[in-house]
Amino acid sequence: MAIVAQTTKFSKIAWPVLAWMVGLLFFFPIFWMVLTSFKTDADAVKPEYLFWFKPTLDNYLNMTENYDYWRFARNSVITSVFATVFTLFVGIPAAYAMAFNPSRATKDVLMWMLSTKMLPAAAVLYPMTFLTKSLGLFDTHFLIIMVLSLINLPIVVWMLFTYFKEIPKDIIEAGKMDGVDTLGEIKEILVPLAWGGIASTALLCFIFCWNEAYWTVRLTTTEAATLSKLIEGNRAPEGLFFGRLSAVSTAAVGPIVVLGWFCQKQLVQGLTFGAVK
Amino acid sequence: MSKRTLPRLLQTPAVLLLLVWMLVPLGMTLYFSFIRYVLNSLRRPEWTTPSLSNWRGFGNYEFVLKSKDFILAIQNSLLIVCSILFLTVILGVLIAVLINRAFPGRGFVRVLLISPFFVMPAVNAVLWINMILDPVLGLQGIAVGGINDLVDGLRNAPLIGWFFSLWPELEPISFRATQTSALAVIIMVTWQWTPFAILIFMTSLQSEDQQQKEAAVLDGASAWSQFRFLTLPHLGRPIAIVVMIQAIFHLSLYAEIEIVSRGNGNKNLPYLIGEFANNNIGAASATGIFAVILANIVAIFLLRMIGKTLME
Repeated sequence: MAIVAQTTKFSKIAWPVLAWMVGLLFFFPIFWMVLTSFKTDADAVKPEYLFWFKPTLDNYLNMTENYDYWRFARNSVITSVFATVFTLFVGIPAAYAMAFNPSRATKDVLMWMLSTKMLPAAAVLYPMTFLTKSLGLFDTHFLIIMVLSLINLPIVVWMLFTYFKEIPKDIIEAGKMDGVDTLGEIKEILVPLAWGGIASTALLCFIFCWNEAYWTVRLTTTEAATLSKLIEGNRAPEGLFFGRLSAVSTAAVGPIVVLGWFCQKQLVQGLTFGAVK
Repeated sequence: MSKRTLPRLLQTPAVLLLLVWMLVPLGMTLYFSFIRYVLNSLRRPEWTTPSLSNWRGFGNYEFVLKSKDFILAIQNSLLIVCSILFLTVILGVLIAVLINRAFPGRGFVRVLLISPFFVMPAVNAVLWINMILDPVLGLQGIAVGGINDLVDGLRNAPLIGWFFSLWPELEPISFRATQTSALAVIIMVTWQWTPFAILIFMTSLQSEDQQQKEAAVLDGASAWSQFRFLTLPHLGRPIAIVVMIQAIFHLSLYAEIEIVSRGNGNKNLPYLIGEFANNNIGAASATGIFAVILANIVAIFLLRMIGKTLME
């Protein structure tokens, strides 16, 4: 790189040191949460046990007892998985149609889809509560799955569209010659070809579903309540439960943070709608 | 049926679903915003069912515009959003430039930096407000207590004692208070979204013209002027995009505000809508329409930029 030409001995050492310090600083709150999760509730608030303490697994072993963790986790898994599957099920054909059989309206349709993503959720809070309650859908898995799907559908269609656009049309056309019908084209040619793109879209969609914190909190009470709802309900400031609260928080975000490491690139695409490459 | 009809029809389920999802609730919000509609009223029970005979025209909008909470919520929304934007963009650019160079463990540092972005908002808020910012039990309280103890001890020390006796006792800040709860939200959201800015600026820096940079070095350009005249202009567009996307997301912040102080001293538009929706649906709906308008002002610019790159 160009700057190397000017590198002095000082910056050769100072630069990496600074970069590492910034990285560690940003990660520190997460590290602190994980560390606290191995302390007892009593130790967690004592200055003398900041870094040296007797680690315990009790907070993790008692998650069910303390918070009914697995019920919420199960709801998070069910809603996020089914929402991701449903979104792909609707999104793949749509993106296929737009990428391989575009019409003059395709661009406008895509832009309109993205614009739905930009509406503030709170604006429709009451109508959503009213509708779901009168349809008997309030606090059901079905409702949360549908809402998560619809929130993420624009991003999923958009991401799939950009992946599909890269596939040469000829390959798809060749399928037509062999007498494969449209659905066969998608199932047998497109999906295997674009597998990587579909997988990373699914991963990102899953992460967004898991972290959603408006509708999952406002449209549930107990039956379909997800981990966001669980944590939100335990915001109490007493500070007596730092240990167990850290454990349940770590369990709630740990897997997702790790998954996130694997889709940094897709994140840029998915969140900027391709405007930054 | 032409050969292209069926393939094109495949996008109808997606379009129809989104159309219903958007139009039905938004249409209802629009309708409710023009009628008198409350959930409980002993005096006027007829207002508790939505009906055209309760037409109020722009009355709800007037009521909302005149309420003190609305002005405060708008001010607070703007304060929170602008502060976060300012901090994330500055930090994002600096850190992206910092790690754009090869150094040992760069991949690992990148993983460390991006991690906060994947923490769910509810955990982010609970973690910061309790374990880090709490004035007594959190790290802030412990740190302030530690510094005070240290200064206290040094006061009795020979020679330098007089210097430390001039130091005041430090007071920890309570971030749940009316004046500071917005600050807590700004800190935690900045922590979560700076990684997003870093990631985008980093992606963009990788496409920077290296030949141009080498030429600048040969011409004797300083590191600063390279940054000022080559890197910053190159980042202009990504910065605009980061600003707009974040503006749209942060205008609808909710979980953090709820967890930090239940909106005490720190209501934004979504929070105010939630409060109105406990009884006065007409006012909640009118506020919702204002929120839509505010978000659309940003969204129009953003969509225009996306549209330009979409078909390339």
